[in-house]
Amino acid sequence: MEIKGSVAVITGGGNGIGEAVAKYFIRNGAKVAIVDMVQKNIDRVLADIKAMGGEAIGVQANVSSEAETAKFYQAAIAAFGQINVVVCCAGIIRDSTLLALDKETGKVSRKMGLDKWQPVIDVNLTGTFLTIRDGAEAMVNGGWTGLLVTISSVNKVGQVGQLNYSSAKVSAALLPKIVVGEFLMRGIRNIRCIGIAPGYTATPMLTGMNQDALKAILADVHLGRLVDPDEIARLIGHAVENEAINATTLEITGGLCYPGGIAK
Amino acid sequence: MKSFTYNDMDFSLESAGGRWDIACKKPDGKSAYVGAGLFAGLPESEVEAKARALVKAIFPVGIRSVGPDVAHPTLIGDLKIVGPDVTHPNFIYWDKDSSSFATD
Repeated sequence: MEIKGSVAVITGGGNGIGEAVAKYFIRNGAKVAIVDMVQKNIDRVLADIKAMGGEAIGVQANVSSEAETAKFYQAAIAAFGQINVVVCCAGIIRDSTLLALDKETGKVSRKMGLDKWQPVIDVNLTGTFLTIRDGAEAMVNGGWTGLLVTISSVNKVGQVGQLNYSSAKVSAALLPKIVVGEFLMRGIRNIRCIGIAPGYTATPMLTGMNQDALKAILADVHLGRLVDPDEIARLIGHAVENEAINATTLEITGGLCYPGGIAK
Repeated sequence: MKSFTYNDMDFSLESAGGRWDIACKKPDGKSAYVGAGLFAGLPESEVEAKARALVKAIFPVGIRSVGPDVAHPTLIGDLKIVGPDVTHPNFIYWDKDSSSFATD
C-alpha cells in the first residue's frame, strides 16, 4: 500500500508521536484525520498542516467513548471517502505503585486507586480496542486496503510504578496477533494489523523532565539519545508500504538495555 | 469566504488555492479549525454541502438527555438522589437527527 493518496486516522494526533505521524503522512501525500481531546492542539497541528499544503480534518473526541469513536470515523469518511491507515497514539500515564508503606509502621499507607488505574485502562486499552474495532469495521465494509497500528511501549515488559500503563501496553502489543488471526479465520485479507513499541521518545513529556533524570535514562540507551518521534513515524510509514510486516509488534528503542547491557 | 450556521454554531469556509479551510467560531469568539486544505477540485457550488455534511458528522445534533447535577445530589429528607453522570464518556445519548431537523 502506498502512503500517497491514502487516508490516515490518527488518535492522539495533537502532539507527541501522533503529531509526528500525522505530519509524516501529510509530507508523503496522505490525507489525515487528527483526533485529540484538546482542541488547541488540533488547531496548532492543523495550522502547521495548512502551511505544509496538506489536507486534514480535526475532531475533538474521547477514544474511550463508543459514540465519539463512531463520530470521528464518520467524519473521516465524510471528508475523504475512505480510511486506509489507523494509528492509535492516544495515551496517558498516571504512575503509581500498587502499594506504599509507612516507613515507621511498615503497614500499607496508600494503595493504587481506581483514579490512577481506570483512566489509563480506559484510554490506553479500551480506547485502542474501540479504535481498532471500528477502524476494521469501516475498512471491511468499505472494501478498503488498510493497516491498523497500535502503539505499545517498551515498558510492556513490566515497568515498576506503571502497573496500569504496562498492563495496557502489553495488551496493545498482543492485540495485532489476535486480530490478524481472526481476520484470517474470517477471510478478511485486505487489512493488516501491527503494533509499535517505542522506547524513550523525545516528546514534550520527556524533554521537559529533570535533566539529571534524563541523563540517567539515556545511560542505558545504546543510541545515546532519545528516539525522535519522526523516527517512529518513518517506521510506521515503512510498515504501510511493506505488506509483509503484519501481526507483530516492532520495538524502536535505540537499543534500550537493562543496566549491565542486556537488551530490554 | 462563505459562512453558514449549524446547530447554533457559526462556521466559515475560506478558499486558498482551490482548497478550502473550515473554521468554527467558539463561544469565546476565538476560532477553532475543523479542517484545512479540503475539497480540492470540487466545484464551488458543491463545497458548502460537503462542508455541512462534514460538520454534521463532527458535531452530531440530537436530543441529549440532561440529568440532575450529580455534583449536587437532590436531598429529600434523608434520601439522597444521585442522577446519571451525563458527562461520563460512555453515557449513551441519542445522537440521531430528529425528523424535525432539515435533512440537508
